[in-house]
Amino acid sequence: MNHKKQINMMLNGKQISAEIEPRRHLVDFLREDLGLKGPHLGCEQGACGACTVRVNGQIVRGCLYLAVQADGATIETVEGLTEQGVLNDLQEAFLSHNALQCGFCTSGMLLAAAELIEHQPKSNREQVREWISGNYCRCTGYHSIVDAIMEVLEARADGRQVKSVTTA
Amino acid sequence: MKAAAFDYVKAKSLIEAIALLSEHGEDARLIAGGQTLLATLNLRLSEPSILIDITAVSELKGIFVQGNMLRIGALVTHTEIESSDLIAQHAPLLKEAAPHIAHRAIRNLGTWGGSLAYGDPAAEWPACSLALDAIMVIQGPSGARKVSAKDFFIDLYTTTLQVDEILVASEIPLASSNQVHSFQELARRHGDYAAVGLAAMIRTDKGKVQTCRLAFFSVAAIPTMASKAQAFIEGKSIDTALIQRAVNLAREEIETLADITNSQETKTHLLGVLLERALTKMMP
Amino acid sequence: MELNGEQLIAAPVSRVWLGLNDVSILHASIPGCEEIERISDEEVRAKVMFKIGPVRARFAGKLILSDIVPDVSCSMAFEGTGGAAGFAKGKARVELIGTESGTLVRYSTEASIGGKLGQIGGRLISASAKKIADDFFLAFAKELGGELITLSDTKVEDKKEE
Repeated sequence: MNHKKQINMMLNGKQISAEIEPRRHLVDFLREDLGLKGPHLGCEQGACGACTVRVNGQIVRGCLYLAVQADGATIETVEGLTEQGVLNDLQEAFLSHNALQCGFCTSGMLLAAAELIEHQPKSNREQVREWISGNYCRCTGYHSIVDAIMEVLEARADGRQVKSVTTA
Repeated sequence: MKAAAFDYVKAKSLIEAIALLSEHGEDARLIAGGQTLLATLNLRLSEPSILIDITAVSELKGIFVQGNMLRIGALVTHTEIESSDLIAQHAPLLKEAAPHIAHRAIRNLGTWGGSLAYGDPAAEWPACSLALDAIMVIQGPSGARKVSAKDFFIDLYTTTLQVDEILVASEIPLASSNQVHSFQELARRHGDYAAVGLAAMIRTDKGKVQTCRLAFFSVAAIPTMASKAQAFIEGKSIDTALIQRAVNLAREEIETLADITNSQETKTHLLGVLLERALTKMMP
Repeated sequence: MELNGEQLIAAPVSRVWLGLNDVSILHASIPGCEEIERISDEEVRAKVMFKIGPVRARFAGKLILSDIVPDVSCSMAFEGTGGAAGFAKGKARVELIGTESGTLVRYSTEASIGGKLGQIGGRLISASAKKIADDFFLAFAKELGGELITLSDTKVEDKKEE
């Protein structure tokens, strides 16, 4: 039975069209059809957060969002947000604080952290921990991730730049 | 795991959505936020033949004041509730409860109506709707009807919604100046299903409680009000002696059901703990 | 998971016993029962669609009766698979006791649910089992033309599932 639907979306700044089976979730579409490997699949049940992407400016579980629902929407992955420079501070801080090892959770963590910084810029450590509790990390023990996010929050509050590791 | 194949249609209006539901019956599922539905489909615990997307149905959207009621559309997301000025002003219990729901990414898509229609015993909104005397606005092929929250949740995952009906919105009396609330939830980790929870609201008059609502969640098959404790508290002033007696009453009257988090006995104990915290907080 | 309970049905013991052994009455009483077939005196096969919350899982299973003492008691072993959803296995004992007001049906069940349903649904397996049992007895009593006098004392205990 062919149920394929035609969809159009703005993906990382580009208009794209595709014909998709309704059952395909957004991350499978991004990874398998478009080769965007940034978002990862951990549990496919909405628990682990590795699949986090941005839809219409807010983070969602890409595994709990159908590609057909993205018709007419604006989708951003870690690839697009990196290109825009939106994640620059966070990425520098993650590197300098060793906030990633295998990297599986990292794209989801960055996107979640970016939304926190945008919406709750006065967060303290406890609030950061609560916010990222929806993103599982099996490597770092979270401490360094919280350190990295706190550095960006504090730098923004002080109006200064985050120390750069990549261009030092 | 990947979901089994299904068809998909996006309804453009409430009438169309209801017609589609009537046509497909049990083979169809409505999709709004999809935060429960899609997890279920990914695990193949349900294999509908068609999804009816209702996210474009305007009648289900928006938060606005209508007379002395606050109307919350079924499609309003948990994040929208969390950040709404109208909610902060007229139903602050909901603002306090919202951050307890799962995690941000899920709150950005999950909806008020979805949570109520599923009626998960551990969910926050069903208990809050009881605590605030909400009225459910329902639409079906034969028209609209209204059901009060206390008549809406009838059994485990069972509400009065019929197969061909859609929950359109809830109406909540605007919070009055003599109204206070408390929201308590215990969970092993932030975002987990609640082990025990309480949505409480009190209206006072000259230091005495006029109206008392104590809606517990994750204690039984449905959100459960401690009606004897409520009746006991009404008409009196809250002090530590009253709190103790209310706690005992609530523990006696609520028949707790064990679940994977805790035994019956632990739930009974914990509901008393939460009631004490809530009443202490609401004490003038 | 253990599910133990008692239901009092306003009908004589012999009618209740016949009802429990009549596949057409069982078909009408088991919530979500789609097909049911008696294979032999001891074996019954059924297809049941379980609907709990968002879950819709079709289980194909069989029931094997033993220790049959007509009008008094029997034991049963059951097992079913729900495809991707998981599987269920268990045993039950049913006793019928005649009283002034009707038949007291006493049942004790031990079941284990495995697979996805066990993991995800496991949270509320007890509440779900109780609801299914309650729904069954309500329908069953109606089928017998008798009334369900008390839906009482159904005790459910969660045991650690692997």
